Amino acid sequence: MNAPAILIAFPKGRLGDEFVPLLAGTPLALDAQALKSRVLRIPTATPGVSALLLKGADLPRYVAAGVASLGIVGSDTLDEMDMDLLELADLGFGACRLSLCALAGVSLDELRAKPHLRLATKFPRATEAWLTREGLTAELVPLSSSAELAPLLGLADAIVDLVQTGGTLKAHGLVETAVLGRSSARLVAARGAYLSEPGRIRPLADTLISALKG
Amino acid sequence: MPVRTPHFPDLLFGPAGRLRRWEDALMGLLAAHGYRELHPSLVLRDTVPDGALRFFDGDDLVALRWDFTMALAGLLARSFPEPPDRVSYAGAVFRRPVQPWEAVERFEVGCERITPEGQSSTEADVELAQLLMAIPGILGLKSAILHMGNAALVRRPLEAEGLSPELAAEVVAALSRRAPHRVAQALEGHPSAARLSAHAKALLSELDGPASLGALSASPYAELLQEEVDHMDRALQALLPILPANLELRVDLADVAGLDFYTGPTLRLWAPGAQQELAAGGRYDRLFPGLGRPWKAAGFCVRLSRLLDLAETRPDLFEQP
Repeated sequence: MNAPAILIAFPKGRLGDEFVPLLAGTPLALDAQALKSRVLRIPTATPGVSALLLKGADLPRYVAAGVASLGIVGSDTLDEMDMDLLELADLGFGACRLSLCALAGVSLDELRAKPHLRLATKFPRATEAWLTREGLTAELVPLSSSAELAPLLGLADAIVDLVQTGGTLKAHGLVETAVLGRSSARLVAARGAYLSEPGRIRPLADTLISALKG
Repeated sequence: MPVRTPHFPDLLFGPAGRLRRWEDALMGLLAAHGYRELHPSLVLRDTVPDGALRFFDGDDLVALRWDFTMALAGLLARSFPEPPDRVSYAGAVFRRPVQPWEAVERFEVGCERITPEGQSSTEADVELAQLLMAIPGILGLKSAILHMGNAALVRRPLEAEGLSPELAAEVVAALSRRAPHRVAQALEGHPSAARLSAHAKALLSELDGPASLGALSASPYAELLQEEVDHMDRALQALLPILPANLELRVDLADVAGLDFYTGPTLRLWAPGAQQELAAGGRYDRLFPGLGRPWKAAGFCVRLSRLLDLAETRPDLFEQP
């Protein structure tokens, strides 16, 4: 039996849109025809190496389980999931802030003074860590998308969410009141694959770093 | 309260037979090198750590044996005024899994080499590495990789810089992820940031053969770590001439797994393509002094449950009988 094919997990959506064009012309360029289809396993220019297109929140699990040997994912997702995987490089792109955002006119001090603060977020772990650092308590309202609506409709006093340009916030009358952390795309690797087959995995990791690191 | 689904695998005829054969063959190898078997009780009454399978025996909280090394250490410290120099063990340990796909009951075979205070331990480290080198052949693995590291390469610079336990833990976690950028981020603003970041870069720069040891010359702590580097170099020089054809020897300078336990050289056995290490060990000279005995110790454990899984999922990695 030959060694199994190597799978690299790529995120669908914003991060994926940013880097897929940068891989063109490299040994890991994705097959253009397959990309246009609805197929989620895409051949690359290197035989025996395929890309999986995954939702960011699922991607670390595929890598930690060793199904995919390498992957690209935002550090915000990594910090939320805390999976056992290697983080070989900060690729720099997809940079954004994890921020506390409230309706324009509501200050951080006003939020601090609330006896029962409610924060809507899809980043409960990072939010709890910030609350601990600040000595605050809050009720966390778990959401998986469109968090901007929560303060507008009274579901929460403020949100903790990723902010890249601030355009979405502005469109909903929200402003950043505190920056909790920063996020960017990271190259991750399965611990087992990297340590047991560095001769196969490291050249692929180096190709991704040289193509994608800004 | 999270719902856990403990994983207690039953072994059918094939894996059960394989487990018996492997256990017998490994214990035979250890016995041939002077290791005598000790069998600590399956139920332990010592301080029970998180992750152990606990239950009440009357009013006493007890646990199923969660680790052979800890169980043996208690037994040896209680029962022997002078340490036996070589002991071996075989059986199951029970731990809550960190990853959902891990089993709770895990079969292990292992050994410990104990040295009284004042005696050199270099020979013991080489002896353990030689035994580990023989194991892939005994198990029928077509090829394997032995990683050699040294916990002191990380531990000593962190101690020399006087990092707080919290900050040291952050740096170790970043090294465990092989993430130099996380090391720099954790140390931001600390007086030792530039030195420790350069050291992390040196540790993470290579994962290759014995020449990888040379990467440490770029570290600001090269002088501090000279003794450890010499020790590793001597071990490599002793092992390279007797390296089996199907075994590759690599130096992993950034091996920090178990850093709160290991004090010196570490060894990890991998098979190409395996998702988990198949055997692991090293030197842990603080264990017995912590129990009131001035003994130095090192050992390794072969994780038979992982090998059984590997034989099922990747039979191509094994010679066919």
